[in-house]
Amino acid sequence: MSKITVPIGPQHPLLKEPLAFSLTMEGEHVIESSMRIGYVHRGIERLSQERTYVQNVHLFERVCGICSHVHTTTFCQGVEALLELEVPPRGLYLRALLCELERIHSHMLWLGVQARNIGFDTIFMYAWRDREIVLDIMENLSGGRVSHAVNIIGGVRIDLTPEHHDMILKQLDILEPQIEALLGVVENERSFQARTRNIGVLSLEQIRRYCVVGPVARASGLDMDIRRDAPYPPYDQLRFRVPVRYEGDAWARTMVRILEMVESVHLCRQLLTDLPDGPTSVRAKRRVPPGEVVSRAEAPRGEVIYYIRSDGSDKPARVKVRTPTLTNLITLPDQLQNISMADVSVILSGVDLCIACADR
Amino acid sequence: MSRLLTQIYLFEEIFATLQLAFPNEEFSVQGKPIDDTFLILAPEMVRPVVELLMEKFDVYHLSTITGDDTGNGVRLLYHFWSGYGITLSTLLPYDNLSVPTLTGLIPGAAFYEREVHEMLGVTFEGLDTPGPMFLPDDWEDGAGPVRYPLRQNANEKS
Repeated sequence: MSKITVPIGPQHPLLKEPLAFSLTMEGEHVIESSMRIGYVHRGIERLSQERTYVQNVHLFERVCGICSHVHTTTFCQGVEALLELEVPPRGLYLRALLCELERIHSHMLWLGVQARNIGFDTIFMYAWRDREIVLDIMENLSGGRVSHAVNIIGGVRIDLTPEHHDMILKQLDILEPQIEALLGVVENERSFQARTRNIGVLSLEQIRRYCVVGPVARASGLDMDIRRDAPYPPYDQLRFRVPVRYEGDAWARTMVRILEMVESVHLCRQLLTDLPDGPTSVRAKRRVPPGEVVSRAEAPRGEVIYYIRSDGSDKPARVKVRTPTLTNLITLPDQLQNISMADVSVILSGVDLCIACADR
Repeated sequence: MSRLLTQIYLFEEIFATLQLAFPNEEFSVQGKPIDDTFLILAPEMVRPVVELLMEKFDVYHLSTITGDDTGNGVRLLYHFWSGYGITLSTLLPYDNLSVPTLTGLIPGAAFYEREVHEMLGVTFEGLDTPGPMFLPDDWEDGAGPVRYPLRQNANEKS
């Protein structure tokens, strides 16, 4: 059979973000593929050198449109280490609370997209309905559904009132059974399994060779989570499990993410129950003493790392951002090999791509 | 044992192993805030040291490579992670911006090396660079306002 090359993208119905693929096909089968990213490269690393640290917090909030809070958390954590600032525990707990809410929001959104690509629209509807619960909580806390602008260097700008406290606990009680219901569907529903089992399998060996991070790595048996392995405060004081599966396929990735949502709900309850009293932020100097720091955090998609070098002025000399999607993208040509055309969408969404993150 | 102590012991062991394996080379170690330690070495030592770290200490996770134009050369920082941050730091002089690729050992390094290559003009010997990654397709033909966007003199077109 003769080979044909099918271009997909940069604009296409699979993802809302631009990413171009070129699939070499033989009939219905994809033989190999190549990809091109960079359509939403905004030069954020260069921009950050022209802005002060205070302005940069808002710039890095815009690296990602889903996990915006974890980016500012990682950046602020790095700058605070350079300033040798001690952030009040209440500020750290509120930071982590938003991180965990954001993780639920991100995984819910992903689950909807994945179900939609499989053709299972019922899960899509339920997942996106339940995601509204989390978005409402975040809107109540910060005023924003996705861009919260909560982090400042030295802590957080919001505080939790007793009404917030009760409202969040009540909403979490509604959310938890919904997540467990979704878990039951993914675990037992045969049509869901038929579309995701043994699709896009990555072995542990491949995961290690490509330095893959996050739920994709954990679905292939790599037990790695920055929150547990290099606990940045307040995660050193929290108890939680890190779900790991060993199948390495699109189904295992779904399971890992849903189990992570359950853990995140537990974490939110812990954070609210143990929430310390006191101030939420301390005053930070505008000029940062010379030095360099590597700051890591666990975003919903995996390890995010910031390298910050200061030359003593009020603007950073260099900030390097590496988002988890960039790392996970490199596995796609391996996954899009010797598969059926119909599985391309399941594989692409299974990795949970955030192209704006990867391009920066 | 506390995390900090474990890290100090691990680094003493790594440092001793490196000096034993490469007695004629100079290494230095700098502790950084948030669990990271920098190991400063010569550009030609990066590949053999990574090989040794992978073999003896099971350090396989390369988080990223940072290219940083400091004004007296381009610094390359290889951020490894193995429960603790281990960063290999090396300085390339402007007249020889070239270093062997790590993709033979760690295929996942390809994206990071391609990014440093197009943003700072560092050549990774042996790296396959099929066109630009983040920059537009016609950037290398001189269509862009600057050749290497992250160079300090990026605004003076050379």
